[in-house]
Amino acid sequence: MRLQIRMGENKMKNSLIIFLIVILMLSLTACGDKASGSNDEGEVDVSRIRLVIGSTSTGGDTYQNADTISRYLEDNLKTNIKVDAVGAVRAFQELGKARNDGSTIMFFHDMSYLGVEYGSIQENNKLENWTIGPIVSVNPGNAFLAKGGAPYDTMAESAEWLKQNPDETITVAIESGGVSEITFNGYYLWVKEKYGTKVSDRIKAYVTGSQEDKNQALWDGNADIINGSIGGNSEYVKDGVDDEIKMKFLGITAGERVEGYEIPTFAEQGIKVDGKEFVFDKEFFFLMPKDVDQDFASKLNNAVAKIQENPEYAEDLAKNSYKTKYIPADKAEEYLLEKRETFQKIIKKAPSLDNITN
Amino acid sequence: MDMFEIISPLSVLLCFLGVFMGIIFGSIPGMTATMAIALFLPITYTLDLVDSIALLIGLYVGGISGGLVPAILLNIPGTPSSLTTTFDGYPMTQKGEGEKALKVGITASIIGGFFSLIILYFFAPVLASVAIKFSSVEKFLIIVFALTVIASISKGSLLGGIFSGFIGVYLSLIGMFADNNQMRLIPPGFEEELVYGFSLLPVLIGLFAIAQILQESETGMKASPHQNFDFKKDKKNRFTFKVFNGQLINTVRSSIIGTFIGMLPGVGGSAASISSYSQAKNFSKHPEKLGTGEPEGLIASESANNGLIGGALIPLLSLGIPGDSTTAVLVGAFLLQGIQVGPLFIPTNPDLWDGIIYALIMANIIMFFLMFFSIKYMAKIIYIPKYIIYPIIIVMCVVGSYAINNGVMFDVWTLLLFGLAGYVFMKIGIQVAPFLIGFILGGQLEKYFIDSLKGSGGDLTIFFTKGPIALGLWLLIAVSIIYAIVDNRRTKKSTAI
Repeated sequence: MRLQIRMGENKMKNSLIIFLIVILMLSLTACGDKASGSNDEGEVDVSRIRLVIGSTSTGGDTYQNADTISRYLEDNLKTNIKVDAVGAVRAFQELGKARNDGSTIMFFHDMSYLGVEYGSIQENNKLENWTIGPIVSVNPGNAFLAKGGAPYDTMAESAEWLKQNPDETITVAIESGGVSEITFNGYYLWVKEKYGTKVSDRIKAYVTGSQEDKNQALWDGNADIINGSIGGNSEYVKDGVDDEIKMKFLGITAGERVEGYEIPTFAEQGIKVDGKEFVFDKEFFFLMPKDVDQDFASKLNNAVAKIQENPEYAEDLAKNSYKTKYIPADKAEEYLLEKRETFQKIIKKAPSLDNITN
Repeated sequence: MDMFEIISPLSVLLCFLGVFMGIIFGSIPGMTATMAIALFLPITYTLDLVDSIALLIGLYVGGISGGLVPAILLNIPGTPSSLTTTFDGYPMTQKGEGEKALKVGITASIIGGFFSLIILYFFAPVLASVAIKFSSVEKFLIIVFALTVIASISKGSLLGGIFSGFIGVYLSLIGMFADNNQMRLIPPGFEEELVYGFSLLPVLIGLFAIAQILQESETGMKASPHQNFDFKKDKKNRFTFKVFNGQLINTVRSSIIGTFIGMLPGVGGSAASISSYSQAKNFSKHPEKLGTGEPEGLIASESANNGLIGGALIPLLSLGIPGDSTTAVLVGAFLLQGIQVGPLFIPTNPDLWDGIIYALIMANIIMFFLMFFSIKYMAKIIYIPKYIIYPIIIVMCVVGSYAINNGVMFDVWTLLLFGLAGYVFMKIGIQVAPFLIGFILGGQLEKYFIDSLKGSGGDLTIFFTKGPIALGLWLLIAVSIIYAIVDNRRTKKSTAI
């Protein structure tokens, strides 16, 4: 009886050993496949990429654009990508500490350089200190809105209304240090150039945080106009919404109108700064460590180029009114530095928010 | 539409998985419902919308509910909104009533959850329009109202408690001031680490867990008296639903406070449980007993923090505005599916709206049964010798702190720093609970104060002239403070006798 048990135990041990060997072999085979696969065209050497984004929100446009492109990149680069919404300052910190193999890279938009200009992001994070990757998409929906019953329908009309009503002021709710502030600056400087300080001095800023705060400022009557977006605010402009919370779009800052929406662009409304049409498209791109492995950078660039041709990628972006836009890495740097220079001039001329806040 | 046409077996399974994982997240100090949802968010893309909502709602309900386990058994709030659960929950454990405390907490949680669900289902659009009438002025006053709890819970010295609260508020203001991007109160050399200030959760669990461990290491980690209880033999300490006798008003009031504060965007769940605990103490027949292990305090805290779930969904589904940080992550799930939440969401998405309600019902029921019947195993944690459980707690706290902002090492240093600070606080008489309440609410206090002044052009009288809601809140604040002072004097007198 005891012998039988011992034999049974031995059998079990043997089975366990065989099972472990099989598992080990399978694992080695899988690893072998992965290793040999690393020579495949387009496949990167890192098995997992951490994509840090410059926003802490998982409901905002940065997360959505990052999530969309990373899903397509996973297939093309044959790797796993985890999007981490850590916020701008922490994303740059992580990028600064990252290895050069591409295992940690960053995804953000124009705020990455505007923040440096406005002081919300430290100077050591300026574009020159990173390797700029390809531009992958654009959110053309940066917009300004007013209450449904406001006495003006466009941003240009709001300035005209201010001129006609010398006792009135217009307060605009914005977020400081980024896209919201730069587009407000564009409007403010245009009013100043066209109507003079008598009118522009009556434009006030209500500086606040999230989109919810800006919406609430409009409903409370603390702001007359708010910065927002087509994606975030289009639900409030629809027929059937209560008058109390109803909004209307006054204009978008993109170069072209967004399909499906009758919202005039700033350029169409004649909003110019220094004689040039004011156009601001919010563009999303990758940032990598300065000394990033060139093989990784080039594979990422090629993969993005390939994805841009996939109509499903465009469809996914279109769900939230975003559009594809591809500028390869080698041209993206020059493009963004030029764009930054244009807006540096505007920032230089713009008033400090401390001076135009109530 | 019929429930079974919307909810598939997969939805039920995902909801169960969500609740289960949520409870685990909520139970681990430093991990939250928000983290759980954010982690599962990418996989929802591949799911049908109702299935993904069932999973996320499960995570939400489980995550909020799980926080009571470490709060009651280990005196560590698993989530910020379970801070007040520790006030009576842990003393109950110390009296050998850990299992009973857990069951009271879970029952209060499901009552709060269902109460807010009913409010959500029947009154969402009406209440949402009320919620937007709360401007920054009213929100500031609600935060002040929540802060009045400091006066009620100050142990020994009222002035000492208020002072501790002030230190908490002061430290919460460290970081970049978003309005003008100026750094403030940051020690030189820490500009990068403290740009967003100290993270709340490492501070919270450092002050509770690490400080407690440090204090106990002073005397050596012997078994506490409560570890020697045998629940099975002690019938007196068993849970029966009779505990809720005479607690109807407390439960309903706390569920209302939780739902109501939950529906005010930006105010958050911590203010809900803190305010309802404060009111439970103010209206209690034996206020002096709260904080010593009374189910009354536990019921107030837990029914409020589950009440806020339905509350936070009211502005989200009726207006498209998330009520708290967790519902803000839920917006991401909708957007990934290409659905915008806004004022017309309910009328234009009736199936989805029904799906959300069914998911909430399921999640609450699953949470109740999953927790209620696994409690006898959970409660055994307290039998584990301290020299084994404490190192495990430290590891969990470090992992939780590291993960809370997706891998920031400074958060681990924050945990240890505040652990040490908590130990020093105990020695020099700074009260930890008032300090934490000040720290949790300080940021919002400042934000709404400044927003109110920006809106009024710097006119301070706005806080009194804004309207009847503001005046009503002032009245509540005054009553709460007067009551706390009277209670404080009465306690002092009875101690003197």
